[in-house]
Amino acid sequence: MTTHTPLLIIGTGFAGIGLAMKLKRRGINDFILIERSDDVGGTWRDNRYPGAACDVPSHLYSYSFKLKSDWTRVFAPATEIWEYIRWCAQDEGIMPHIRFNTNLLDATWDEVGTLWRVQTSQGEYTANVVVTAMGHLADEKYPPIDGIETFTGEKFHSARWDHSAHLDGKRIAVVGSGASAIQIIPEMQKVAQQLIVFQRSAPYVIPRPDRAYTHAEQRRFARDPASMEALRSELFWGMEYNYAQRRAVPKSIAEAYSMANGHRNNQVTDPEVMAKLTPDYEIGCKRILISDVYYPAMQARNVHIEASALERVEGTTLVSAEGNSYEVDAVVFATGFEAIEPPFAPLIHGRDGLALSEYWSQGMQALDSTTVAGFPNLFIMNGPNTGLGHNSVIYVVESQIDYIVGGIEFMRGARASVIEARPESESEYVEAVIERSAGTVWLTGGCKNWYVDYRTNRLTVTWPDFAYAFRDSNGEFEPAHYSVA
Amino acid sequence: MGIVLTKDPVAEGEVSVDGATVRYYDSIEARGKRNPIVLVHGTTGSTAVHYGYLFPMLATRQRVISVDLGMPAGELTIDSFRRQVEAVIDNLLAGQKVTLVGYSLGAVVAATVAAARPETIENLILVAGWAKTDSQQLLRNSVWNALYESGNKDALAQFTVFCAFGNPFVGARTLEELAPAIKAVNVTEFGAAQMQLNRDIDIADRLDKITANTLVVGCTYDQMVPNRHSRDLFGATENARYTEIPSGHAVVFERPAELHKQIDNFAANPSRHPAGTIIPTVKP
Ligand SMILES: Cc1cc2nc3c(=O)[nH]c(=O)nc-3n(C[C@H](O)[C@H](O)[C@H](O)COP(=O)(O)OP(=O)(O)OC[C@H]3O[C@@H](n4cnc5c(N)ncnc54)[C@H](O)[C@@H]3O)c2cc1C
Repeated sequence: MTTHTPLLIIGTGFAGIGLAMKLKRRGINDFILIERSDDVGGTWRDNRYPGAACDVPSHLYSYSFKLKSDWTRVFAPATEIWEYIRWCAQDEGIMPHIRFNTNLLDATWDEVGTLWRVQTSQGEYTANVVVTAMGHLADEKYPPIDGIETFTGEKFHSARWDHSAHLDGKRIAVVGSGASAIQIIPEMQKVAQQLIVFQRSAPYVIPRPDRAYTHAEQRRFARDPASMEALRSELFWGMEYNYAQRRAVPKSIAEAYSMANGHRNNQVTDPEVMAKLTPDYEIGCKRILISDVYYPAMQARNVHIEASALERVEGTTLVSAEGNSYEVDAVVFATGFEAIEPPFAPLIHGRDGLALSEYWSQGMQALDSTTVAGFPNLFIMNGPNTGLGHNSVIYVVESQIDYIVGGIEFMRGARASVIEARPESESEYVEAVIERSAGTVWLTGGCKNWYVDYRTNRLTVTWPDFAYAFRDSNGEFEPAHYSVA
Repeated sequence: MGIVLTKDPVAEGEVSVDGATVRYYDSIEARGKRNPIVLVHGTTGSTAVHYGYLFPMLATRQRVISVDLGMPAGELTIDSFRRQVEAVIDNLLAGQKVTLVGYSLGAVVAATVAAARPETIENLILVAGWAKTDSQQLLRNSVWNALYESGNKDALAQFTVFCAFGNPFVGARTLEELAPAIKAVNVTEFGAAQMQLNRDIDIADRLDKITANTLVVGCTYDQMVPNRHSRDLFGATENARYTEIPSGHAVVFERPAELHKQIDNFAANPSRHPAGTIIPTVKP
């Protein structure tokens, strides 16, 4: 049986749910969302490892059109963010539109029918317009490690935490030193008999100005919503300020060094540990992490820092690149996500059956970071050049929501059955992004990072500018950049 | 001198005007089709102090030149500063159209330049500026002066921070967090002369000579140059738009990224909003 829908949205994280909310508020109700999992929430449903939290204050990391007055803390824990998305979806009547446990297997453009034929684990859908909202950090990445399959203890990725695993009193290894790792390590330190941290490169860490909101503050936010907007504005522009680090602005770099080095000097006493925890690359190259509990945990008696990569595994023995061996009972991979080659790209076939992954074989690209020539009636959320290292991804998501709603309303107003990005408009946009990225630390900073495509050295994951410039550039659908039929 | 504004070195130079040495910084590289921007700092400021953030960020989009105003040999008037800015423009940008940006006293200077050189100043941005000093400013100025004369540097620095930053900004920080800002206050004789000049600013009758596309930026919580002055400028300048940033007078420290957006958007397309528009404050 085939289900037809004018509009199919794939994924129910912040992107998919936010788009659905805006559509409904605009009176558009004829859409279906599919979701491979059994609940909404995406990132925040999946990432519930101990210590999981957001690095952007919650009054900013939330929809501007659905403010929440009773956030419990400045940085809400992951479960509270998950609850928030569920509340949004329920409160705005999105739940009945969602088909859960429905995994996208293939979406192919049908030239004759001028619609998308979408195969899922629950049968076929056809849709005039498809929006992918499958996330940019949704599929976990494992580094290639010899003999990993021989490991006999517990092993899992941070995003697929095994909550049934017994870790108390065990010998645990955490692989990685990125945003997830530094949240997990302090929690593992509390329960482990011994904790080994495999760290390829030390991160820069600055204080986390977290605290609980009082009841009085929560009620003020509720009674005076303008005060929430004022706080949101202050938080946004405060984070926006830090974009200057990515342009290596001397004043900004000096401030960042002073914060990060000051924090390390305050919190780290042991000179040997200090040496291991001192980064060897220019600040601003990678995301600067925030934590008040990471350095104390790294100096605890039951923690050992292996300042090199995990290279191979033999049974329960982990061997580092420097040749050190450790016996452990459990391994946690906090090794990040597939971002450069999104796992959904091979599933999507445009004109002439071309796979999006083929089209992107030299790196992701899209007109206005959202649509692709040769892939008509397709909008991509959190795709090429949408990531932010310095500000809230929700701001980008909301810009894309406005763009896509504009596109859909344009199609309906113009009675267009097919819109497609003009190749020359797409190229122009790509050129403009290349120009923006010239001179950013990602390309000049001399450090390895996952934002740059390894095939072309082009920045394809991150948006190389202020966040506001993303909305200025990509917040409004521009019909002139499309061929319309 | 010897300040580091951008990752790549900027050109520096100086011109001499009425016995004043006027330093300037020039990012040189033109980008895109935008006019070069010329920045004029405010009272007791300098390029490094007021534009340490904006200069390098704006330079990623267009050529930027910034002026360090200097003390003339004779009497300091608003026209001394006007001639200094004109001299830098003549020296570096002869025959070119310019986007001129002034902050605080620099906005007063920029307005006089725009009035005198309508053929050169195509676009004008006046941030937290004013046209005619009023009693509220005079009272503050008198207290400032009394503290300055008293030699109580600490009280002067605290009073400066108290006035310069918006009340939401100050109120949300501990005294310890504000200490670096207080410590950074440093008043020279030249700064005191500018404070004296601020007492009798009156350029109201020049404003109707400004033809430039103008953006007036007021600061919501400004206690030094309350934003009604910006609204006055908005009314008095023919081709003006107005927008507001939720900040104190010290917007270059409190909300530099938001100010960057306003300057950036306007420089990219000055007539996007017709004259007379109040451009809504951004709600992120
Ligand atoms: C640990 C962690 C911390 C983060 N912290 C921050 C932060 O501090 N600040 C910030 O701005 N961003 C942060 N992010 C980035 C975060 O991913 C985004 O902010 C945002 O949540 C992305 O929303 P999304 O809807 O695009 O994707 P997701 O939340 O990933 O949702 C995608 C959805 O699509 C579904 N899906 C995927 N493939 C298929 C398929 N084939 N078929 C059907 N359904 C599918 C998934 O199950 C998922 O529900 C963090 C990410 C992680 C992983």
